Amino acid sequence: MAQPINRYKTDLRDYSFLLFEQFKLQDVLGAEPFSDWDEETCNTVLSQVYEFAKTVTGPLNRVGDTQGCRLEDGRVITPEGFKDAWKKLYDAGWRVLGAPAEYGGMDAPTSVAVLSDELLSGSNTAFNMYPGLCLGAAEVIAEFGTDAQKKTYVPPMMNGKWGGTMCLSEPHAGSDVGSATTMAAPVGDGTYKIRGTKIFISGGDHDLADNIIHLVLARIEGASAGTKGLSLFIVPKVRVDGTPNDVQVTSIEHKMGINGSATCVLEFGEKGECVGELVGTVEHQGMRQMFKLMNFARIGVGIQGLAVASSAYFNALEYARDRKQGSSIKEWKNAEAPRVAIIEHPNVRRDLLMMKSKVEGMRALITKLAVHQDRLRAVEGKDDASVAYHQGQIDLLTPLVKAYCSDEAYRVCETAIQVYGGAGYLKDWPVEQYARDSKIFSIYEGTNAIQAMDLVGRKLGQGGGKNTQTFLGEIQKWIAAHKDDADLTDAVANLQKAHEAVGGSVMQFLGWFQSGQMPNIVLMAERFLHMMSKLTIGWLLLDGATIAAQKLAEGGLSARDQAFYEGKKYSALYYAKNIVPEVIGDAKTLRACDVSPVQISDEAFGPA
Amino acid sequence: MKVLVPIKRVADPANANKVKVAGSEVSHDGLEWVMNPFDEWSLEAALRLTEDASAKTRTGEIVVVSIGPKAAVDTLREAMGKGAERGVLVDGEDTALDSNVVAQILAKVVEKEQPDLVLMGKQSADGDSNIAGTKLAELLGWPVINYASHIETSDDGKTLTIKRELDVGVQTLKVQGPAVITCSDRILKPGTIKNGVTPADFEYPDLGDLNSRLSNLKNIMAARKKPLDELGLGDLGVEPVRVDEYVGFELPAGRSGQAQFLESVDELVQKLQSEAKVL
Ligand SMILES: Cc1cc2nc3c(=O)[nH]c(=O)nc-3n(C[C@H](O)[C@H](O)[C@H](O)COP(=O)(O)OP(=O)(O)OC[C@H]3O[C@@H](n4cnc5c(N)ncnc54)[C@H](O)[C@@H]3O)c2cc1C
Repeated sequence: MAQPINRYKTDLRDYSFLLFEQFKLQDVLGAEPFSDWDEETCNTVLSQVYEFAKTVTGPLNRVGDTQGCRLEDGRVITPEGFKDAWKKLYDAGWRVLGAPAEYGGMDAPTSVAVLSDELLSGSNTAFNMYPGLCLGAAEVIAEFGTDAQKKTYVPPMMNGKWGGTMCLSEPHAGSDVGSATTMAAPVGDGTYKIRGTKIFISGGDHDLADNIIHLVLARIEGASAGTKGLSLFIVPKVRVDGTPNDVQVTSIEHKMGINGSATCVLEFGEKGECVGELVGTVEHQGMRQMFKLMNFARIGVGIQGLAVASSAYFNALEYARDRKQGSSIKEWKNAEAPRVAIIEHPNVRRDLLMMKSKVEGMRALITKLAVHQDRLRAVEGKDDASVAYHQGQIDLLTPLVKAYCSDEAYRVCETAIQVYGGAGYLKDWPVEQYARDSKIFSIYEGTNAIQAMDLVGRKLGQGGGKNTQTFLGEIQKWIAAHKDDADLTDAVANLQKAHEAVGGSVMQFLGWFQSGQMPNIVLMAERFLHMMSKLTIGWLLLDGATIAAQKLAEGGLSARDQAFYEGKKYSALYYAKNIVPEVIGDAKTLRACDVSPVQISDEAFGPA
Repeated sequence: MKVLVPIKRVADPANANKVKVAGSEVSHDGLEWVMNPFDEWSLEAALRLTEDASAKTRTGEIVVVSIGPKAAVDTLREAMGKGAERGVLVDGEDTALDSNVVAQILAKVVEKEQPDLVLMGKQSADGDSNIAGTKLAELLGWPVINYASHIETSDDGKTLTIKRELDVGVQTLKVQGPAVITCSDRILKPGTIKNGVTPADFEYPDLGDLNSRLSNLKNIMAARKKPLDELGLGDLGVEPVRVDEYVGFELPAGRSGQAQFLESVDELVQKLQSEAKVL
């Protein structure tokens, strides 16, 4: 077994800054539904989860990578130590932090649950997928299941006795979920016989729990084609009466990363004996129900991206402070100049600050979304207009969180390897694993192309475009209030230009929709998703910088806080001056919309 | 059984490189605070003494006490999050304390709380003085046993059988409570504590690099509602006298940080003899 050493690192100061100084979670604490929660408790929970991540899951990250999973006698064996970590995780209760008390949870604010998830995912992405997907599946049953289903399935899935999966993908139904051919035949007693093949199923089998509850998208005989004809089924590996349920793992994939997570091919009903129950009582609701899980999981993937990128940054930072190479550029004429740590070189500092600003930006974006969820929970059933506002912002931000954070995660990891130099390419250091692990984030839970089309095709125009208008209006208001801030003038001016660029591009998409130029939309959607993400993050980081500037001006800070706030200020300035301006260029490219990729003939790409 | 566990917060030993000294004082600016690891061992021992580990129930009471500024409350809550029932914070400045002051204050807390046992760290990770426990026992007129590696209670909980691992072998002692006991890290191994409640075949998990168990969500939430008394020295009726006077601090000389890889064990032995002259 590879030596179990923890490499996971983060700085919890940023978490309490975002929660309590920037997004003011305390506004909703101490009252229903968060009556048991205050600032100190949130911070304590995060620090204890971090302890857990460093001591339990973190040391198993490389172990899982090198050992991977094995399929023996039709059963998946997970890497050494995973079983023990699973037990400890559920004993500690971290996985059900945000779950309702009736299921053993603590009704934690979503934002605290989300940031805890960052700590768990960052310490061991592959391991955390097993309990992560299980929780998502349990929440679907808790929301849409019958009372009997809730009673039977949810508690054991929440307390770690059983695992859970989401089964959408099939050999011919990847991005195009609607092509699924898995069939469900009513037996007559309310249950269905399921038959079909699902591929790429994360945690499709494992040895961590007594049973696994699969949520399977399938088509009831005679239902219409496409996504509308799909229904969602609860298909246990072992039936509740203890008999096996004709679900076979026929193989597991050998992958680039997340090797500790078993990616399975599942055969349902090979012997015609696979029994499933419909989630709830109404047929053909599968996509709507699965969307609940998909939204949860999409945010979860964004968190994975943030989590891995953050640890890649902190590891690169540590290495850059330690590794001595070359002399200071200020001594360029002096051959005898002392060797310096590479963090002294301006280009290395630039790479570090770029990573820092992106990581903090992603965390701010995710925390903003999560605090919208908490504010929504606080007014649910009391203030419909407020609920609609928060829900609208959550819907709009979800594709940004999924796609921007997953794309940037890989890039941050790549930069981290570059900062290390040759050492970064070696298995002796953690960053090469981070790069391999993070590549999947832009693919699963809907590729980033699909996310971008969700953004421009559905989200921008949702509610007659109201959510987008409100969102852009809030940024405009912020700019108006801060355009004369002495520290930030150039930065705010950049944000203003980016704001205009994004607004213009929204109109451009509208024009393409109206004139039916659909290929243009598909060509430019991902670029636009990144533009909007950069605008949002530029705004959130600058907003954080104004808070930091005020603290610095007030003075009386500990050395640690002094450094922290200075860091916040420079993250924002770097992002606003180096990354936000890209939005302006992107808008020009978008408007010009070069259609070469559509015009070029298939043959011209190269010989077959 | 009621156990008093004194707990000190210390600057995180992992950040020792950030410590600054100014004349006769160590600056605490910018340091992160953690529970003194040696106190964590005692806390873990106290938890094992006062629970039924297999039924996951508490059978006794632990009072954690800390002397320090208001912020030391976090350390007490952390200990309560691991399972301790109550907390007592005695107001004090980190820099105004020495082992003598600490022992005098703790003696008053013991008088007030009347525990069956005081379990404390053998030393603190910052001062490394190794005195407070012995001094406290002296003030109380109680027996003291340092560096306990095993603790077993009699059926009535009054008599304790304690093992100490010494260079010359293992010493076994029987002591009639109340007593002051300090622990060695051996106490964290499975099977070192027998309290007559936890089944003898119960296996505590290996703590690995941890100095005490991790807290869980339920305990953290519960800890918020556990009682925590804040006392001033006046409340305890004590005016402690400091006997140590710190005249200066210096940071250790930086290490060269050079590592050399040798080809063989023989070469290592030779270097240890001829260059390092330690063999
Ligand atoms: C490690 C791993 C774990 C996974 N876990 C799960 C799981 O637990 N459950 C589950 O159900 N699935 C899971 N998946 C499957 C995953 O969700 C799919 O791989 C993903 O949705 C993409 O589908 P695909 O691989 O078939 O690619 P394809 O759909 O074939 O896509 C190939 C390329 O074409 C693009 N493309 C496809 N359709 C369109 C379109 N209409 N418009 C524009 N571009 C398009 C895509 O963006 C992509 O670049 C997992 C996959 C992996 C690799």
